Formats: sequence, C-alpha cells, structure tokens
Amino acid sequence: MQAIGVLVGLATGVLSGFGIGGGSLLILYLTSFGGMAQLQAAGINLLYFIVCAPSALVSHVKNKLVDGKSALICAAAGVVTGIAASLLALHLDLSLVRRAFGVFLLYIGARELLCKTPPEEKKDKPAAPGSEPDRGSGRPAP
Amino acid sequence: MKKNVKLAITGALAGTANGFFGAGGGMFLVPLFTKWLGMEQKTAFATSVAVILPLSVVSAVVYFCQGGLDFLGAWPYLLGGLAGGIISGRVFKKMPVTWLRRIFGALILYGGIRAVLLL
Repeated sequence: MQAIGVLVGLATGVLSGFGIGGGSLLILYLTSFGGMAQLQAAGINLLYFIVCAPSALVSHVKNKLVDGKSALICAAAGVVTGIAASLLALHLDLSLVRRAFGVFLLYIGARELLCKTPPEEKKDKPAAPGSEPDRGSGRPAP
Repeated sequence: MKKNVKLAITGALAGTANGFFGAGGGMFLVPLFTKWLGMEQKTAFATSVAVILPLSVVSAVVYFCQGGLDFLGAWPYLLGGLAGGIISGRVFKKMPVTWLRRIFGALILYGGIRAVLLL
C-alpha cells in the first residue's frame, strides 16, 4: 500500500514538474482509491507541495525565471484569501466542498483535454542573460 | 487596469483555490500570468511556484491548527513526489507535454464527474 503511494507520488510529481496539475490528480487518487476524505487529501497535497516545490523553485530562481516583484504582490493577496478559503473549507459541509472540487475539476479537465500545442514550442530565442523582463510590455495573447 | 491590481486579483484567486481545494492555484496563475499579464510561459510557470509555496504554507498551517493534517498518511506521497520532481527536470525536453495534458484532462474530467456525484 505504501509502495503504491510512493509510485503515485512519483507520477504526480513528474506531472507537476511539467506544469500539469499533479496536485489535483493526487487529491483525486487519494479520495477515489485511498479512501480519504476530501479535506484529508487536500491537506496531504498541501504538505506534498511544500516538500516538493522548494527544489524546483531554487532552480527557477537560479535560472532567473521568477518575476519576484509580481510573485510578492500575488502572494500577499493570495495569503489573505487563502486563509479565509481554508477556514471556509474546514467549516462547510464536506459534501459541498467535494462537489465544488468536482465542478472545478470539470472546468480544468475540459480545458486541458482541448488544449492546443502552445505556440512557444517553436524555438524560443535565448533571452539576454541578466536582462530584466520588460514589465507589462503588452504582448498580445497567443 | 493597473498591473499591480491585476496581480493582486490573480493572487487572490489562486489563494482561494489553493485554500479551499488544497490544490489548483497554478491552474489559475499560469493562464492569467500569460494571457492577462503578458508573461512568458516559462516565467509564468516559475513565478507560479514562487506564489503557491507561501500560499500552501499558510493553508497548511490553518489545516494543522484545525486538526486537518495527516502527516502519517502523507509520507509515501512526499517521498515519491521528491523523486518525481527530480525525474521531471531531467526528461522535461523529451516529453510530449500536449498529449500528456490531454490524457490528464480526460482523467480529471472523469474524477470531476465522480466528485460532483459524490461517488
């Protein structure tokens, strides 16, 4: 059972590294096959992210891929709503939280299923090292 | 709209999803960063990790204070996840990510239907 857990963690970890929502998949696995309640699974996924993300983040920072100022503003706003939403989830009826998660998954699933090959898969030019990304350059959406 | 306002709204949405579902912050952050804020895909992905990490920490603290964290049940997944992160960095360029996303989408849709029906 625990060996299967390690394998599932491995698979979702690889997906997360690709920017595919490994976390949602892990929660689905835990609730569908791991016999866990929605919030227990959500808590495990939070721990999972806290353990697995730092190593990736360090390499992103080294590669100068993180827009620090934007991250700071986003995180400041997100911390407030994050605390409120966590408290809400812990106090609402469990089946309501699970249904809401289901609706969220339907949206994400449809979006990912219909995804197109991203345009930047054409060779992107290497950015000049150390050059600060132009803030709000108004690049049109692809 | 001012860029900082857009960033705050984006972060607020991510915090809501991450706190309520324990996942999914990146599902909001990456598309909003690229399409609304004009970030490069790679920057958007890397920056989303930098945002979700502190969000996950505060949510985990709230869950913990309310007795909702299962450390014993978590360790196999944490162990696998650590290894998965390392592997993913090495094989990133060789993977057909678009197809992986579609397979993932199909799995998630199936799970979503189950969750809505409380199965």
